[in-house]
Amino acid sequence: MTDVVHTHADHAAPVAPTGWHRLTYPGWLRVLWVTPIFFGIGLGLPLLIRHLAHWDPVWKGSVLVTIELVTTPLGFLAGIGGFDYWAYYASGRPTRPEDHSGHGARSWRDYFRVNTDHKVIGVQYVVTTIIFFCVGGLFAMLFRAELAQPGDQFFNPQTFNVLVSDHAALMIFLFVIPAFAGLGNYVIPLMLGAADMAFPRLNALSFWLLPIAGVIMVAGMAAPGGGPSAGWTCYAPLCSHQPLGQVFFNMGVQWAGASSIMTALNFLVTIITMRAPGMTFWRMPLLVWANFTTSLLVVIATPFIAGSQFFVMFDRVLHTNFFEQGGGGYVLGYQHIFWFYSHPAVYIMMLPGFGIISEVIAVMSRKPVFGYRLMALSLMAILVLGFSVWAHHMFVAGMAGWLRVPMMVTSMVIAVPTGIKIFSWLATMWEGRIRFTTPMLFALGFLSMFVIGGLSGIYLASVPIDIHASDTYFIVAHIHYVLFGGSVFTIFAGIYYWFPKMTGRMYSERLGKLHFWLTFTGFNLTFFPMHYIGLQGMPRRVADYADRFADINLFISIASFGLGASTLVFLYNMVNSWAHGPAAGGNPWRALTLEWQVSSPPPIFNFDEIPQVVGHPYEYGVPGARHAIFGVPHPEPVGTD
Amino acid sequence: MRKGSIIQLTALSLVAAAICTTVALAIPWLPVSAGREADRIHFVYWFTTIICISVFSVVAAVLVFSVWKFRAGPDDDSDGPPTHGHTQLEIVWTAIPAVLVTAISIVSAVVLAQNGHAGSNPLLVKVKAQQFAWSFTYPNGKTYGYLTLPKDRHVKLDITSNDVIHSFWVPQLSQKQDAVPGQHNMLVVTPTKPGTYPVICTELCGLGHALMRSHVDVVEPAAYQAWLAKGSQAPGSPGLAVFQENGCGGCHTFKPAAATGTVGPDLDNLREEAQKANRGTEAAFVKESIVKPEAYLQPGYPDAMPHTFASQIPPDKLAQLVQYLVKGS
Repeated sequence: MTDVVHTHADHAAPVAPTGWHRLTYPGWLRVLWVTPIFFGIGLGLPLLIRHLAHWDPVWKGSVLVTIELVTTPLGFLAGIGGFDYWAYYASGRPTRPEDHSGHGARSWRDYFRVNTDHKVIGVQYVVTTIIFFCVGGLFAMLFRAELAQPGDQFFNPQTFNVLVSDHAALMIFLFVIPAFAGLGNYVIPLMLGAADMAFPRLNALSFWLLPIAGVIMVAGMAAPGGGPSAGWTCYAPLCSHQPLGQVFFNMGVQWAGASSIMTALNFLVTIITMRAPGMTFWRMPLLVWANFTTSLLVVIATPFIAGSQFFVMFDRVLHTNFFEQGGGGYVLGYQHIFWFYSHPAVYIMMLPGFGIISEVIAVMSRKPVFGYRLMALSLMAILVLGFSVWAHHMFVAGMAGWLRVPMMVTSMVIAVPTGIKIFSWLATMWEGRIRFTTPMLFALGFLSMFVIGGLSGIYLASVPIDIHASDTYFIVAHIHYVLFGGSVFTIFAGIYYWFPKMTGRMYSERLGKLHFWLTFTGFNLTFFPMHYIGLQGMPRRVADYADRFADINLFISIASFGLGASTLVFLYNMVNSWAHGPAAGGNPWRALTLEWQVSSPPPIFNFDEIPQVVGHPYEYGVPGARHAIFGVPHPEPVGTD
Repeated sequence: MRKGSIIQLTALSLVAAAICTTVALAIPWLPVSAGREADRIHFVYWFTTIICISVFSVVAAVLVFSVWKFRAGPDDDSDGPPTHGHTQLEIVWTAIPAVLVTAISIVSAVVLAQNGHAGSNPLLVKVKAQQFAWSFTYPNGKTYGYLTLPKDRHVKLDITSNDVIHSFWVPQLSQKQDAVPGQHNMLVVTPTKPGTYPVICTELCGLGHALMRSHVDVVEPAAYQAWLAKGSQAPGSPGLAVFQENGCGGCHTFKPAAATGTVGPDLDNLREEAQKANRGTEAAFVKESIVKPEAYLQPGYPDAMPHTFASQIPPDKLAQLVQYLVKGS
């Protein structure tokens, strides 16, 4: 890298524009007039073409919505300034390669604009995803209210299906996946000893795609004819014949997926090229390893769900025949393509959590991670195996019969690397000095709940049992043990663990523990009984059910309201501690990894001096061991161990 | 590791295993089996359960033991022993799960093969799913809205769909198979226990999904022959038979047919609605609403009725259905 001389102006806060310039300066005022222009183009152009070509009808909802869901978000992004630097470059105007005016947060306003600082982007991600977590949870409570009794009470079947579909879509695409991207964004460059991500502008853009995807998903509910109601799996041919809202789902997934891919590319390049001197792969914290494997999964798998959603949308809008049986399409093709992404997506939603748990358990037990290399290698094993198991979602779908047994065996084999991780965490705690802080409680909650989710996964990997349990509430129970007891608990563990680093303040342990116990209890009361009603014969995604399940469903609904209410404790703790919490100091957990060796929150460019990594990240209990030292005059280059 | 710890750990594991076993046995997790395939599936279920309880008990014991024994005091700033790994131990906990899942895989594969075996002389029943009803066609050509099966005979179900993907499931028979348009999927069931069991659609198929139910009567072979020999396809008028074959009751309430669906308009109010709609005589309105349901939508209801009935119901049967609906309203 060439040395660039930084001037004071480069690092200064942006000069606030005045007068008319405020309208052309990137920001919300520009959004207000650029977005309508793009909206107008998206509306006018197809109408004009259809009118000139004498196509009937001129006003065709599915076509207009599809085009609008591309142009309007582009208008928003252009307005807020997501493309400014590249537009300057492309139009031949002078650019400043070391322009940091859009970098870092000096006031709360800096969180509401395009910002290239990975720490700001991390916070933007986490806060945005928590908002969608609350919206998705609210949807769940609404349909649990409907399910409290058999028969129709509050919602008709259409609204019920929309709530179920959007609950899952928001939780998966707008909460779990991007929440991990947010935590990774904040922590990875710090852990690597880097000043920022490899592509800060791309990083900013990938965040701003996220609220777009979320708004599209939610707005689809108000679409004429009804919202997306084919479930988050959106199986063809049902979804090709759903009301207009389904197009919002198809397009919302595209924006979320693009965001996900861009972040993953950024993580990969950052991890490969921007490690501090001495930070070899075998000295990286396991959180970085976890995000490295996750990012590989994302860049390989996500294009498949993009394809599946484009194809169903083409079938509807362009009258292609990818999945329309009448036109020679292959109905089950949708499921093969969809699950080729969506099973790896399960690991996209789990591996970063594994990384968080490794950090928390090692630090809170004051011991090195047990079997560090095997922990990293088992992540890689899950990555590879993860691509060979997708058809276990299709054991009853009527696919080629011979595929069932091989896919069962590969699915079973995934239990081996996962088991290695569980046992190694237990061994890490063994004879440790365990501190039961809130992140550690969530880590322990994760361990116990994920074991249950993993074991119910063994049942479902077995083809004969899956034939009985597929598409029932047993599946609903299983995925919530894996994605709530698993992923969501790790996200909470991560948020509490890095909260002092992000805000410089300490959260309230008392409220954190209260939050954990309420969530843990509410979670089990809500989801454990679902195993039973599923095996007994209650299918998933039904607004109405047999009377004999009435009592237990009422119980589940009441428990789910309690679970929802526990989030209020979390929100109060976060907001209140962020504003009024006691100062946390740079390293409240006495951790060795690099993010804790700088102030809280860290300086705008993370490290005043480049750290020299000299050892492993988890050498707790080793006398005199250091992970990194500062102040080395000539740091040795990367790759020497 | 001290000897005392091993004893305590073992005791904890046994306690955890006892609790799990009680939960597994005290609650009737599975429906009562009514078929040979279900018996085998229940066997795999219990085989897997024993293995899972063992694994879970060990993990739970270690977890509880660690939380109990290794808690740091409030002023304890010390670190734990710097153990980095233990190769033999890591080999053991890689190998044991591998062996266990291999065992489950083998048992599962054997049962899967057995459950797909229909014998030399199965009863072949064609199953057709559509939004939101099931119809079952027997070798003699007769079609019913419910399933009647003889006890102790292999039955091969040839399952397909008219529109979107559905899924055929009888919890007591444990077998399940998706109904996919354009595809004929086979499913073998061998009922062993007489009784009436629900047929449930388990794949989200649209607005009437929750109500897409039918039932299966498992009867003695003699009773099955008698049922088969009965002349009429279904009790009551021919119009009622058409109503039931096409699953109208999945979405519509209609008292004469004891139908209680709520997805579509209540057909008991057909006369008033025909007047409000003002699209010709009541019979003409009813006919149009079946063959071209999008032509007039009753306020408050979406365009959810399948557009396939024009080609699906032959003209004579359509006439019977229209007459039946007009008479009954």
